[in-house]
Order: sequence, then C-alpha cells, then structure tokens
Amino acid sequence: MMETLSPGASSRGRAEVIHTELKLEDETFLTDDFLRQLINVGEVDILVGLATHNNAKTIGSIVQTIQSGILQAFPRERAVIIDADGGSHDGTPELVTGVSIDDVRRATNPYALRTLHSISTKYASSPASGVALRTILAAADLLRAKACIVMSPESASIEPEWVSKLLRPVYRDGFDLVTPTYRRHKFEGLLMTNLLYPMIRALYGERIREPYSSEFGFSGRLGSQFLNQNGWNDGGGGAGVELRFTLAAITGGCRIGQSFLGEKDHVERHAADLVPTLRQTVGSMFSALGADFPVWSVVSGSQPIATTGSDQELLLGPMRINRKRLRDMFSTGVAELESVFQSILSPTTLAELQRIAHLGEEEFHYSAELWVRTVYEFAASYQKSVISRDHIIQALAPLFRGRVFTFLTENRNASASEVENNIENLCLEFERLKPYLLQMWKSRE
Amino acid sequence: MPVTKDALWYKDAIIYQVHVRTFQDSNGDGIGDFQGLEQKLDYLQELGVNTIWLMPFFPSPLRDDGYDIADYRAVHSSYGTLEDFRKVLDSAHQRGLRLIIELVLNHTSDQHPWFQEARSSQNNPRRDWYVWSDTEARYKGARIIFLDTETSNWAWDPISKSFYWHRFFSHQPDLNYDNPAVREEIWDVMKFWLEMGVDGFRLDAVPYLVEREGTNCENLPETHTILKELRRKLDEQFPGRMLLAEANQWPADLRPYFGDGDEFHMAFHFPLMPRMFMGLKLEDRKPITEILQQTPEIPPSCQWSLFLRNHDELTLEMVTDIERDYMYDMYAESKTMRLNLGIRRRLAPLLNNDRRRIELMNGMLMSLPGTPIIYYGDEIGMGDNISLGDRNGVRTPMQWNGGWNSGFSIAKPEQLYAPLIQDPVYGYPAVNVLSQRESEHSLFRWMQRIVSVRRATAAFGRGSIEFLYPANHRILAYLRRLGRETVLVVNNLSSTAQAVELDLQRYKGNILVEMFGNNIFPRVGDLPYLLTMGPYQFYWFRLRRV
Repeated sequence: MMETLSPGASSRGRAEVIHTELKLEDETFLTDDFLRQLINVGEVDILVGLATHNNAKTIGSIVQTIQSGILQAFPRERAVIIDADGGSHDGTPELVTGVSIDDVRRATNPYALRTLHSISTKYASSPASGVALRTILAAADLLRAKACIVMSPESASIEPEWVSKLLRPVYRDGFDLVTPTYRRHKFEGLLMTNLLYPMIRALYGERIREPYSSEFGFSGRLGSQFLNQNGWNDGGGGAGVELRFTLAAITGGCRIGQSFLGEKDHVERHAADLVPTLRQTVGSMFSALGADFPVWSVVSGSQPIATTGSDQELLLGPMRINRKRLRDMFSTGVAELESVFQSILSPTTLAELQRIAHLGEEEFHYSAELWVRTVYEFAASYQKSVISRDHIIQALAPLFRGRVFTFLTENRNASASEVENNIENLCLEFERLKPYLLQMWKSRE
Repeated sequence: MPVTKDALWYKDAIIYQVHVRTFQDSNGDGIGDFQGLEQKLDYLQELGVNTIWLMPFFPSPLRDDGYDIADYRAVHSSYGTLEDFRKVLDSAHQRGLRLIIELVLNHTSDQHPWFQEARSSQNNPRRDWYVWSDTEARYKGARIIFLDTETSNWAWDPISKSFYWHRFFSHQPDLNYDNPAVREEIWDVMKFWLEMGVDGFRLDAVPYLVEREGTNCENLPETHTILKELRRKLDEQFPGRMLLAEANQWPADLRPYFGDGDEFHMAFHFPLMPRMFMGLKLEDRKPITEILQQTPEIPPSCQWSLFLRNHDELTLEMVTDIERDYMYDMYAESKTMRLNLGIRRRLAPLLNNDRRRIELMNGMLMSLPGTPIIYYGDEIGMGDNISLGDRNGVRTPMQWNGGWNSGFSIAKPEQLYAPLIQDPVYGYPAVNVLSQRESEHSLFRWMQRIVSVRRATAAFGRGSIEFLYPANHRILAYLRRLGRETVLVVNNLSSTAQAVELDLQRYKGNILVEMFGNNIFPRVGDLPYLLTMGPYQFYWFRLRRV
C-alpha cells in the first residue's frame, strides 16, 4: 500500500511529500488473534483507540459514551473501537468487548445502522503508551481508517460530543491532527502551561495548547506516516510517544487544529509522578529537537492554529497546593545537585538559581527569563549529552517546582484573563530567547 | 402438468407478479390483455415460476391503476372478457401454474354503483355501506397514508352533503365493515372467483377495514374477526385456496394476521425488504438479522411472503427516521425518485444495474424463509421511467424483444398505455427477453437456474432457519433445515472480497456440495470452516454426510 501525505495547509511550506509503505511483516507484533479480529472488522472510516490497563472502574461507561458519540455524529460510517490493553487483571478487555453493538449480542439500538465492533488485544510487553499507540496505529493502517481518535480510558468527564469534536475536523474538514483544549483549573496542567506549550510554540511556531494529551484525533495518513517513521525499536516506543506524534505532525507540515472539549476531570498526582512525567514529555521533546533542528531552527515567531470552540477556559476556584513544599524542594535540589547543574547550566544561570534558592518565601521569584534560560540550557545540554540524559531530566524536577511556586504566587489572585496574560508573556519570553537556544546549539556543533 | 393438490402449496410457490395491462397486447390497442397473457404463459413456465399473481383487472376508472374497483364481478373491457380470464386460468392450471388474483376489500372506487347509490340520498339502502360523518372530527387517531396527495382521511361529498371516510385516495371511499350486508357481499364476490377456480387472493390494505374512535384504526380486533370469518368460509367451501395479506406493518403487528393458523395463510414481510437493500449498501448484515430476530414465530401452516420490488414504491414506512434518510440518500438521490414514504424505482436501477448485486439480492430472496415474489420484468433487469407520475414509472410495458414496441404491442407507439423504456442502458433494444434467451449467461438464464434450484429444495420454502454469526459482519450466513436436509447459505454483502470462518462444528464430517454446480467442497473438520468470497458472492451448500 502506497500513500502520499500532502503538505497540508501549513503556511511555512516546510513539508515534503512523504511516501509511506506498510509492510505486513512490520505488523508481526500484532497477535494472530488480533489480526483475525481485524480481518472480521474490515475496512473502516472511523477508528477509536483506547490504551487501557486495569481501567475496569471507568472503561464500561467510557466505551458506551464513545459509542453514543459515534452513533450521534457518524451513524453511517463504518467504525470500530480498538482497545490495546497492557495486561489488565480486572477484566477491562472483557468490558470493552462486552458493549459491542452488533447482531450477535442482540443489542438492538434504533440509532445504529450498522455493526459497531469493539475489539481488544493484549500486547506482550508491560503497560506502555507507546506500544499501545503503535498497536492502534497499526490497526488503523490495516483497516485503512480515514479518521481516528485516541481517548483516555480513565476520563470521567468524557461526553459523547468529544468524539465528534475530535473526529469531525479530521473526517470532514481534512485536518491531520486535532488536539484538545479543556476547561480546567488555572493551576492544573502546570507543566503544559509553563514548559511544553510555550517551548513547542516558540520552537515549532504552532500554538498548540495541549501538545501532549490523552485525547486527540488524527488522520489515517498521519497515523500511517508516524507508524512507519517512528523509531519503535530504539526505546522510543515507550513513554512520550503522544508528544512525538504531535511533533511529527508539525514537522510533516500537516494541517493541525484544536477543539475545545469541555471540562477535564482532575487527576490527582503524587509528587513522585513528576520525574516520570518529565521523562515522557520534556524528555521526548528534548530528544526530538536534534532530528527536528532543520525545521525549528528556521522558525521565528508563532501562529495560532484553527480552533473549534474556546482556545482554553480556566476555572478559578480554590485549590489546595503545598507551596512551601515546592519551594523547599527547589532549594534542596539546587543545593544537592550543584555538581550536576554545573554540567548543565551556564555559570550565570546557576548563580542566579543559587541566589534565589536562599530567598525567603515572600521574596522568592523565579522569573520568566530565568526559567526560559534554564530550560533552554537543559535542552542544549540534553542534546550534548553532557551527562546521562536521564539525569538531566531528573535534575529539572526541583527547578520546575521552583518555577511552579512562582507561577502559583503570581497568579494566586489573578483572574482568568490575567492568568492567560501571564502564560502569554511566558510564551513570548520563550520566543524572544529562542536565539539564545540557537546560539548554544550552534556552539555545540 | 396440473397443479398439485398439496394444501400447503403456497409454501413451495415462486410467485410472479404481473399486471395484465403491462404484459402483452393481443389486439393492438396498446394495452395488455388476457389473451396476450395467455400467449405468454409458456414464458412463465420457462422461467420456472409456479404461481401468478394478477393485479386488479376489474372495471375501474383507473385513477389508482385498478385499485379503485367499480365492479368486483367483471373484467375491465380493455383487458378482455370474463371468458378470456377463464381461458387464462385454465391454461395456467394446465401448465401447473396457479393463479391468485387481487381483491381490494377496504374500499371501492367512488364510481362503484354501491357508492353512487350510497351518496344519492341519506335514506338509500346502501347508504350504510360506507362510512359517513357530518364532521371531520372523527377518528383523529388515524394517520394519513398518502401524505403527498391527501390532507385528511375525510372527503366532502357535495351530493349527500356529508363527509365520507377514505384511508387512501379521496376517490376511494372505505366500505363499512360494521354493516353485515357488506361483509356478506364481499364473501359473495370472493365466492364468485373461487368458483371459477382461482387459487387464492392477495387481499389489499387489510389493516384498515374497521374504524373505532380513540384508536389509530389499524389492526383492530374487529378487523381480525371479519378476516377470520372470511377464512372460515374459505376453508369450509374451498379448501386448498390461499389468502395473502397486504398489511404494511411491523412484524409484531403483522403476527395477528396469521391468527392461530385461522386467518391469513401468508402475509408480506414488509420491514425485511428495505433492510435487505440497507444491509447491501451498508455492507453489514445487522439490519437483516435484526429484523428477522424481531420477527415472531408464525403457525406451521403459515408463510411469509418476500419480495424485492413490486408495483408500489419501495416503502420506507417500516423503518426508523435515520434508516429512511439513509435509504433516500443511498437509493434516491433525486427527489423525483421519492414518493410518499418510499422510492419509486425498479430493482436493476436501484442496484446500479450491477449484476452481482442483483444476483445476491435474488439469492437472498430465494433462500430466506418465505415465498418469493418476482415482479414482472425484474427477471431480465428492466429499468424504470421516473419521469412518469405516481408509480407508473415501474409499470411500463414488458420488454419482449428489440423490435416494434418491444414486441409488447403492434399499436402505434403513441397508443401504448405507457411509453416504453428507451434509455440506452435499460431500453428495450438492450434489455429484452429474446436477447437474454439467446445468451447462456444472461440474467434471465441465471434467474431460471436459481428458480430451478429453489424449487428443488424444499428446505427453502418449508424449513427452519438458524443464523450463524461469524465475526465478519459483512457475511450473512444461515442454515435452512427440513427433515434430514440441511442447506448452508453464505452471502457476502460486501463490494470487496472477504474471508469468513464459520462454526460448523455440529456438522463435523459433512461435506459441502455447492448447489449450482454440484461441486464438492472440503469436509467440515475440527477447525472453523474457512471460506473466501468474492464481492457480493453467495453460496448455497447442501450438507451431506458421506
């Protein structure tokens, strides 16, 4: 099968015509049983992917919601729900397949014109979003799906309309990637607002508010391209693949849009989750910068992308966060990791960090400029592999906490628009200091 | 070969539906007639059908193609005489062909003498043969069936200065079945034809015989009582004759028309037909299996009647709104193709003249549980003419050959009751009986073969059905069983080749014999039985233990 991915509507014109060719032997990681199920499903218009692992509490209602979304918005299209399961022990796969709309189960649904399959496969390795996404992409490719979405298996706030909001721009309007925007608390998604969004915006020039999300839509063309180009066997098949997917869409010159979904339910995370999260996201981004240098090095400024609904909506209610602990972890980290930072950061930046580490809670301020310089120096050091790349990512954690402390302080009483303003200023700072990153990058070369 | 004496003959029937007017004109007036039909009985015998259903041929002003009857005991002069009809009936029987005729019980033409008398004065003895009212306020729960032309079920009669009830066109007043004299008269009409020898009746529009306030005036118990009474008399006086119900209803509402085997022998399965087209377009068996799952069991002596197309529009009354929209978009892209709640097109144009799809649909028609009906001309893939009004576009003259008026009539073309189909694809020079007779691979020849196989396989007409549910939803597979005979039917609804694994474990050790070529397929073993099927392909296998 030979497909051509057109450059899309990117104004930057950096895309090239990319040929992808699926070889069946590439899909040998799919089990025979799964292949048999795919044969039975046959060609589809729409594919919904789920990457599950012990999600029995939520998955049943989520699959039903997805089915409702498909029946409401795409009653005539051939659709399938595919669950790539990482070895659940709580019956998650059975729950997914148990809500299939077909004539075997006699689940007569007056709105369902055709069979809507829900199938599940367990992959051999331990739970990893990369393996799950690869499975979903391979299925989409084999079934020649025109439009696909990946949905979170634990999103309690999912609505049937989410399906349409993510799929319609792809299926009807020719977008290749649709990322979500949400209504959520101003202090949620701080890694996104303080690092991922502004840095990707500055480097790649696209204002994608959620470049790393558990829900997104994409075209079959983009899925096939990524399936065949991504380095699945070099360890990149694991964490952070969703972010690389977004970056692949950008560098591939694909049409990217975003769609407002509504309220995103809050997921409690422990402090210990930060480093793995940084590995998945910041690590993936840093890792991609090397290969993507020809693309991002020539980009200046940024442009908005087509958005359906709100760009972002912020909720302002109270949220309990232990700010003091954040600052303490920052100060401790700066002190304990001094030798590590000496390898990563410039003397000026390190000195400034050490200075603010000694400030009291009231005086403490991790400025936007200092934060951007910190991140860029980390990125350049990561590229240079001055020390173990994983240690570099780990070392970023205390500094990020310090930056979060300042963000919380600055925006404690801020209105939604004021918070948005502060985020925008941070983005502009990332854009303004991009030459600094380029300078470090080139000096490395 | 005389007709059989089997009382359940209708279960093995393959019915050919035809209007006398459309088939063959013997006297050159441009209108088909009974003498012409008699000339063509050999053709029907050659095709292999064993029953003819004649549409209304009675005297009529023909404002509804004969469904507006003005005299129940005569033949319309355009079609010949009562004697001509008798000759057709006898000739058919001599050839082993049964003949069923159509009676419209619910209403007459407003030109019928009964109505003329009824409207003449409020005191006329026939006044109460129809349903009258001083207001339009009665029976508000009854829906209007012909939405495109009627705005009310009541029509004003300026002569007797009152409203009369009509469920169909306003020129078709409903008879009043609460009046015993009407019921007696209708039985006398039926007796008239039964004594002549007809094998049964297709009774039109039976759900609407009785009206009751506060109901939708359909399927009422009083209606069933009347129908049961007709059936009782039929069985007592004319055993072996058959009643076929036209009741466009959901299966659960249709079920009472079979009673305990004491009402109708057969009834059309209206909801199945559009779902066969839907399943084909969706490439998904779900619409078909779902409606058949919802179809209740019927008494052993009863039978469903199946059809793909007929003289009416492809009715979409018995589908959901979503399904109707889908059907319109898929099969009637032009609004002129739509009529009432349906699509006024013939089989071949509906299927884009795709031979594979035409064969697949006929294959399902012949193998699903019921008695199949072939609409005249569909056996050669005739087209339609949607520029003709109402449903006349699917009622054009039969195309016998590529010569003058397609061999239908020697009249001048402008004298024909309706213009011939002339377009390059479906026109009579391209689509006609003569040329298809001469081609071994024509649709006509193929239809002959499938009719022949169907007639030789009692399980299709009388056997049970059990659906297999292979994981591939594009495959519709079922077993038909009668006694020791088991037939496996596998239909690929998809436009692409498909692989399917069938669970035939119960039949381990059997071989499969393909019923058209009598070729042997591999023996059923321990593993699921794998079949690969071409686009729109279907198989009929006889299971044999060797």
